Amino acid sequence: MAYSNKVVDHFNNPRNMGSFKKDEDGVGTGMVGAPECGDVMKLQIKVQNDTIVDAKFKTFGCGSAIASSSLATEWLKGKTIEEAQQIKNTDIVQELNLPPVKIHCSVLAEDAIKAALADYQKKTEEQTPSTK
Amino acid sequence: MDQHTPESPRTRGLQMARSMCWHCQSAVTGEYFCERCVKVQPVSKETDYFTCLGFPRRLTLDQKKLEAKFYELSRTFHPDFYQTKSSAEQTISLGNAAVLNTAYRTLRDPIQRAEYLLCLEAGSVKNIRTSPPADLFEEILELQDTLEAYRSSDRDSQKGRELRVALETEQRALDQRKQEMEAQLQRLFTEWDQLQDRGEATSQARAERDRLLKQMRDLLSNRTYVTSIVNDLAATIA
Repeated sequence: MAYSNKVVDHFNNPRNMGSFKKDEDGVGTGMVGAPECGDVMKLQIKVQNDTIVDAKFKTFGCGSAIASSSLATEWLKGKTIEEAQQIKNTDIVQELNLPPVKIHCSVLAEDAIKAALADYQKKTEEQTPSTK
Repeated sequence: MDQHTPESPRTRGLQMARSMCWHCQSAVTGEYFCERCVKVQPVSKETDYFTCLGFPRRLTLDQKKLEAKFYELSRTFHPDFYQTKSSAEQTISLGNAAVLNTAYRTLRDPIQRAEYLLCLEAGSVKNIRTSPPADLFEEILELQDTLEAYRSSDRDSQKGRELRVALETEQRALDQRKQEMEAQLQRLFTEWDQLQDRGEATSQARAERDRLLKQMRDLLSNRTYVTSIVNDLAATIA
């Protein structure tokens, strides 16, 4: 099955490719992999005042995996943490027209978002001691 | 992958006791044929590939014996021998031949065999998935950057040649690592088989079983990641 135009576009012009320093303030890192196909995805968010001001990704995998993570970073920018939690893999499937065999790529991207958010939250909790 | 995951591995061993010949309705005691009316019997959907080929659920198995058994059963179910039989028998033998092919393809490869066994033993692979190997992922992504730089470089330039040398070194290191992983897997396979052979039902044995399943799961996954980047690397510098 041929890739959709949107997948090809993200593949040829990936948005926000790259990475932040993991220990930088406000940076959350999500690192996930799909043991079935060997794809690896790193997705990072930079948060200021509860809003994601920047996002970057690096993906080793097929075109759909790259497109899914590229799209995810585009969507993440400008969202609050809570809004970002709402992003579902099915949204990615729909936007990119992913065929059934490539749905796991979108799942991987959702997992990466969740992992990055969790990492950010863990970091902030550690930095701000409980006020209670 | 086309391997099927049995819905309930717990029911194995029971399928013979409750199965009835589709033709004469007597209890089937034979392996693939009704002993009373000699009609071919369908391989139950719950039959795992090990049982299907008549092998115990072990990770080390005799390839020659496996092949011999496969050929024997292939002849048994071959559609050519059913041309004069009823259409029900033709359908059954064809179905059996298909299951048999998949079973053999899965079991003859040690890695696929282990993946399949993990499916059977753990129900779902996801349940025993551990945290992803972050260091390995970082390495893979870094290597991917180097590969990208090499792809966009002029191969005959100084820079291109340097990158190529670096990639070749990396390739040797990764190949070595893959071999080490496979050797380690082989050791776990042996440990697993020994544990099964002892057949203990103690809590220690159960803990040991879980430890082995988890370690095999992790190693198999990591091996897939390494294989994936190694293949990409090899294709790039070929």
